[in-house]
Amino acid sequence: MDATVLQFLAAPFAASLILTGIHAYLGVHVVERGVIFVDLSLAQIAALGGTIALLLPFAGHDPHGPWVYWISLAFTLLGAAIFSTIRGHHARIPQEAIIGISYAVASAAAILAMSQSTSEGEHLKHMLVGNILAVSWDEVLKTAALYGVVGVFHYVFRHRFLAISLDPVAAEASGLNVRLWDFLFYASFGFVVTSSVSMAGVLLVFCYLIVPSVAAMLYADRIGTRLAIGWSMGTVVSGLGMFFSVQFDLPTGATMVCTFGLVLVVMAILRPLLRPGLARRDAEAAAVSR
Amino acid sequence: MNLRLLVPMLAAALLAAPGVHAAGPLNVVTTTEDLAAIAREVGGDRVKVEALSRGYQDPHFVEAKPSFVLKLNRADLLIAVGRELEIGWLPPLVTQSRNSRIQPGANGYLDASLTARILEIPTGQITRAMGDVHPQGNPHYWLDPGNGRRVAQAIAQKLSTLRRDDAAFFAQREADFAGRLAAAEKRWDALMAPYKGTRVVTYHRSWPNFAERFGLNVIGYVEPRPGIPPSPSHTLDLIQEMKRQNVKLILVEPYFDLKTPNAVARETGARVVVLLPSVGGEKGVEDYIKLFDYDIDTLVSAIKETGAR
Repeated sequence: MDATVLQFLAAPFAASLILTGIHAYLGVHVVERGVIFVDLSLAQIAALGGTIALLLPFAGHDPHGPWVYWISLAFTLLGAAIFSTIRGHHARIPQEAIIGISYAVASAAAILAMSQSTSEGEHLKHMLVGNILAVSWDEVLKTAALYGVVGVFHYVFRHRFLAISLDPVAAEASGLNVRLWDFLFYASFGFVVTSSVSMAGVLLVFCYLIVPSVAAMLYADRIGTRLAIGWSMGTVVSGLGMFFSVQFDLPTGATMVCTFGLVLVVMAILRPLLRPGLARRDAEAAAVSR
Repeated sequence: MNLRLLVPMLAAALLAAPGVHAAGPLNVVTTTEDLAAIAREVGGDRVKVEALSRGYQDPHFVEAKPSFVLKLNRADLLIAVGRELEIGWLPPLVTQSRNSRIQPGANGYLDASLTARILEIPTGQITRAMGDVHPQGNPHYWLDPGNGRRVAQAIAQKLSTLRRDDAAFFAQREADFAGRLAAAEKRWDALMAPYKGTRVVTYHRSWPNFAERFGLNVIGYVEPRPGIPPSPSHTLDLIQEMKRQNVKLILVEPYFDLKTPNAVARETGARVVVLLPSVGGEKGVEDYIKLFDYDIDTLVSAIKETGAR
């Protein structure tokens, strides 16, 4: 491998560590809540906001301008409000259905908005499908600061966030305003996902969110252990994925996504060897439920 | 990786970046294979030319690979199509390359469109009613051999400023290319002469320069905006207009899906013809003159077989 390539990978690698840090944590919540596709849905809603902003005559048709940013953020918050109000413990309609509907409608509405815009669709696609290879140090530092704030917020209120994700019924019984904390969760989550997607693309962000969390569940039950495993896996896959991308000269984001899948499969295969107890317990549970 | 590793790596990166270049061949990087082909014609063995995108790819959307950044980092000259064609992928890579020689505005950056003849430049206020508008004009200008000649001149001048000693060499090669291109144009004009004014529909607005140069009459577009399906009324209007004017040909680029053009062709009895917008779009189409050889041959035989007028 050519050593000079390392200097170009430093910023993308730093970005991938930031992504690992926040998404492996948020992923634990998302998987516990069973709202796996919520990030795709919120990212699409944000993109719809960006497209609509480009149509507004006073927004200056600048895809990197402040209007586009603020209006997509407003749409993200709107999406967060929708997802937090429809969460019913009594409702018959699964939340995943609402998330799917929001995704489909937001995507189609973005196409309609694009068909009305004078500017080229390339800008918009670029906004939705960021490229981690092209990340600059500027972006890395800005994102690190933003995610740091979100991270501190979640750390300070970690007990409430965990309570509403793990056992919302008990949380409500204990007098917690579940709807408010749900909104705060989805709002901070949407804020993070929208920035991440514009930096690394939808697919890669989805992987950073879900795969470490799922991989960790194969090996541990405790939240703390799962986070440690998730962070380690995210870091290893980031390095490995970039190595493959350079070694075989493949598009970086897609290579990292496939590396996530590969490492997850390897971890699943090794599980009976490394954690025979957990594997046996799951097999017995499956037998009982059958 | 932690910060302790990162800092020395960055320091090494900063020290290594602006290398001193010996008198080997100039490293030229182009965004498309068309520009690479022309740069090779002009530069000969005094340049080493690499194209980032392949000829069968849509130059609007190119997946960046790590090697792109490396190539850009080592380039003495970057030649881009311009007119916002590469806006979706090139600018961040150029920034990432940390190569001050090829930043826009620097001496090692050439926007090939600056001296070309650009069509469809909007005048006055851009409104929604105008449909898909490139604010800086249509970027598919290389599909007119006249623009190929202008781009070759621009490249020869640029190479001469980077390598003054070789100026005569570049000028001579540029003149030679212009001569061969002029001879080929006579051949193409002769082939197309009987079919001046043939009415065609194109998939996307990629062919205005080609149509103007070779006398095609583009009466409509299948999908006026890339990636956005046309409305039913647009498609119906197009089909009716094609029937009314008896249009027999739908020209499509190889990277677009043929479903919609095939459906329109079924309705109208027209034929879908895949023309190459770029060098390298098909095996054997490896230089600028062969690109037009291929397109003109394909077009002429399709016109003959369908009786298009």
